Amino acid sequence: MTLGNVKLILGREIRDQLRDRRTLFMIAVLPILLYPLLGISMLQVSQFMQEQATRVLVVGANHLAARPPLFENGQFATRLFGDPSGARLLELHFVSAEPPTPGAAPADLRMEADAEVAAGHFEAALYFPPDFARRLEAFRAAVRRQAQGRAGGRAGDEPAVRLAVPSPEIVHSTANEKSELAFARLSGVLQRWSEQIGEDNLVQSGVSRIAARPFLVGSADVADPKHRGASFWARILPVLLLLWTLTGAFYPAIDLCAGEKERGTLETLLCSPAERSEIVVGKLLTIMLFSILTVVLNLLSMGITGWMLMSQMPGLGLPPPVAIVALAIAVVPMAALFSTLCLALAAFARSTKEGQYYLMPLLCITLPLVMLPMSPGVDLNLGNSLIPVTGVVLLLRSVLEGNYWQAIQFTPVVSMVTLIACLLSIRWAVEQFNSESVLFRESERLNLGLWLQRLWSHRQPTPTVAAATCCGTLILVAHFFLSVSAAPMEGLGGFVRAVLTTQLAVIAAPALLMTLLLTRSLRQTLLLKRPPWLAVPAAALLAVALHPVSNVLQSLVQHLYHVNENLRPALEKVQAMFHQADFWTLVLVIAIVPALCEELAFRGFILSGFRHLGHKWRAIVFTSLLFGMTHGVVQQSLLACLLGMVLGFLAVQTGSILPGMVFHVVHNTLAVSNARIMPEMVPHAPALRTFVTPLDGGGCGFTWPVAVVGLLAAVLLLMWFGRLRGPKSPEEELTEAIERGESQQLSLVPKEAACGLAGDR
Amino acid sequence: MIHVHELTKHYSDLRRGQFVALGGISFHARPGTVYGLLGPNGAGKTTALRILSTVLQPTSGTATINGYDVVVQAGQVRRQIGFMSANTAVYDRMTGWEMVEYFGRLHGIPRPELTERMEKLFERLKMNDCRDLLGAKMSTGMKQKVSVARAVVHDPPVLIFDEATAGLDVLVARALLNTVAELRDQGKCIVFSTHIMREAEKLCDRVAIVHRGQILAEGTLEELRDRHHQRDLEELFFQLISQHEAACGFASVL
Repeated sequence: MTLGNVKLILGREIRDQLRDRRTLFMIAVLPILLYPLLGISMLQVSQFMQEQATRVLVVGANHLAARPPLFENGQFATRLFGDPSGARLLELHFVSAEPPTPGAAPADLRMEADAEVAAGHFEAALYFPPDFARRLEAFRAAVRRQAQGRAGGRAGDEPAVRLAVPSPEIVHSTANEKSELAFARLSGVLQRWSEQIGEDNLVQSGVSRIAARPFLVGSADVADPKHRGASFWARILPVLLLLWTLTGAFYPAIDLCAGEKERGTLETLLCSPAERSEIVVGKLLTIMLFSILTVVLNLLSMGITGWMLMSQMPGLGLPPPVAIVALAIAVVPMAALFSTLCLALAAFARSTKEGQYYLMPLLCITLPLVMLPMSPGVDLNLGNSLIPVTGVVLLLRSVLEGNYWQAIQFTPVVSMVTLIACLLSIRWAVEQFNSESVLFRESERLNLGLWLQRLWSHRQPTPTVAAATCCGTLILVAHFFLSVSAAPMEGLGGFVRAVLTTQLAVIAAPALLMTLLLTRSLRQTLLLKRPPWLAVPAAALLAVALHPVSNVLQSLVQHLYHVNENLRPALEKVQAMFHQADFWTLVLVIAIVPALCEELAFRGFILSGFRHLGHKWRAIVFTSLLFGMTHGVVQQSLLACLLGMVLGFLAVQTGSILPGMVFHVVHNTLAVSNARIMPEMVPHAPALRTFVTPLDGGGCGFTWPVAVVGLLAAVLLLMWFGRLRGPKSPEEELTEAIERGESQQLSLVPKEAACGLAGDR
Repeated sequence: MIHVHELTKHYSDLRRGQFVALGGISFHARPGTVYGLLGPNGAGKTTALRILSTVLQPTSGTATINGYDVVVQAGQVRRQIGFMSANTAVYDRMTGWEMVEYFGRLHGIPRPELTERMEKLFERLKMNDCRDLLGAKMSTGMKQKVSVARAVVHDPPVLIFDEATAGLDVLVARALLNTVAELRDQGKCIVFSTHIMREAEKLCDRVAIVHRGQILAEGTLEELRDRHHQRDLEELFFQLISQHEAACGFASVL
């Protein structure tokens, strides 16, 4: 890749985009116009909102006592409102509690009020039961008499407590937002009225009014004035940032890839000496630039509009200047990540129209990553900072909230994760540009019958990449439904049944069935071959060496991502069950069956399919990602993913499923015996204490030196495996040939010599 | 200069099953000659030339251009060729001058040399009228001229024209053929695919008649005429294709 070509392509693409009116409109004109327009409409709407009164039907209020007054001049009394103008906002319509005809039952009025509110004639109704006024007066009189009696030295003849006052009711509808507003206003008014009656009662009983409210609660805000309102901005800015970067990247990306394909200029560029990576990086930088430009323009326009509106909207400060700086920094990685994603998607799309369909899935994937940090209790920690996008948002939030020290601590991790995510997306995009099936895709009418027929008649010895993906997805989906629908397991029998069902029906069966239906060679697909004889004991040894390492990693993972408290009882129950179970039953269920089923499915069918991708590590990584995802709990998945890499590596290097199976059996057996046997052995052999320490959760943890020695041994063994030469897929052979060709090209063989070579061929 | 050996290309297609676009073609083209690929639409000409321009990868077989393999040394191959086809369009939002300059720079030509070369090129191809015109506003003829200029700006030893005259009027097509002839006289190795017999007769030193991914006949025009006892190229073409159709048991498309 040469910088010169990247610069050339970048320059051209920028000029191209700047000459495109649509892009310019989306990126420059829209934000400049949008926020002032939004501001104007918001102002108008907010005025409209403030003025809006709610209609309330008041039933049976005619006999209420005059003191303290609830109503004044057909409205609620002004002193019942914090803001004196509040009374205007409740428009009252009075209905007498007396039945119009002497025979009608009082309950009818209540039902009428319900009907009126339900029909939407009124936002709410305030219903006083027929004898409310009388009973309230009686209550107050009783309280008064009691107080006078106490003052006169004799006991009250009628204890007030016994006189229950029926409750007035507010009829409202939670389905109607305005009704809820009326409800809130009414409850406030009645609450204050009830307090006033109580205070009056006290006064009449000769107690000071203050007795009802002996103290007021004060509050103090220690937030730096600069950071007031920060939490609001901390929540809203990341979402806006996501939307801006995404839209800013999306439209140029579609135009630069799918659009060029449509206009036929992509082939012109592809047969120029510019390398695919140069094209991708050039286009990527353009997209990123426009993405950042969108953010900057939006932010400026919003800032100016907001600053002008700020006088109209009290209680909301401008974001602190530091927030702007943080935002400016966060923009770059976010834009880079979204630009690469958009670029890869756009390169995949056949036309601009198809490209635009991909916006929705892209949003669906990225929105949860931005929403996750919004949920309460999600803080910046090592675990969360490892999640792409989420980490950036959390980091941004902690800067906005003024936790600079915390932000600085996690910056390296977040940058690293973002960088890796970006690099992976770039790889993906380059891949798209290298794939002729993507570049020259033509739409084809789908015919299910023909398709199935072809699937059968064109079977290859090993499955295709699509078949492998399909198998993995099928296993994941079936696994999910099984785990959701399964009844809670009862005892060991239930556990054994659950494991066997999952392993045999969900993992092994689809893989075997697909092998029979979609491939020609069972042996080649499932790697049913004899490995080099040393590989089997070496795999077993590797499992032993890796046991302390995986143990340490497991506790590290659990430390990073705490087990959900709700899951803990279930986990403890499982652990208790393991302690009671027969050791060999456990080995069979936890070690042997999964080793057979999972290896056949993942290192057999799926890995064989992914090897058509053309690179063994890509195949191994994809397989282990799927393998990890079938392990339900996140804490388990991470470790399974790493072990999946080792297993995949063994399968690729030896060309046989057997070493992986042996590794798997030994690894799981060691895990079972660690939980069962080790804690029992420690008291008998005190020397063991230098190597292991019993854990409170059951099982033993290994000391660091043991783990390090294990790791070293494992590395040596893996290096031995690395020297083996397993069979390769045709695609892998080709990739290697191209890599060799490229290096030859770099060494600049003289043209004549190259001609001679070609002639010999 | 161009060595193509047993080149095949298969596509998997739902309706047609494994579709053979190229069924093992071999040919050689030498510098200073025009090699014609003659065939009806869908014969596999474009697939073959796309493989030569490294945009597609062959299913099997090898092709080398100026000693470089099109699969493993794709980058070097692209420096050796100028490729022009009906599918290599002109950028809509770039002027003729900018477009040619862009590709010249991508080929690593230093700026002063490039400007000098482009001035000559624009003069020779009589394209000063589309110098400052955006691609979107150009006529088909202007676009074609820009494409030619783009393909030859780096003075490549090998030039590939894939149905370059498709959709052009007589005047523009004639001008293009003259340009190709000039390039041949400068010693370039040219592959020219077409389905128009007159063009082949006028231009090509050797031709291969391609049909359904196979080369049916190959040689100089004189050789072909003598071998098949048919003076008229169009008749010859028709005859060969009919025979092939009959031999393969296809219902005649002609």
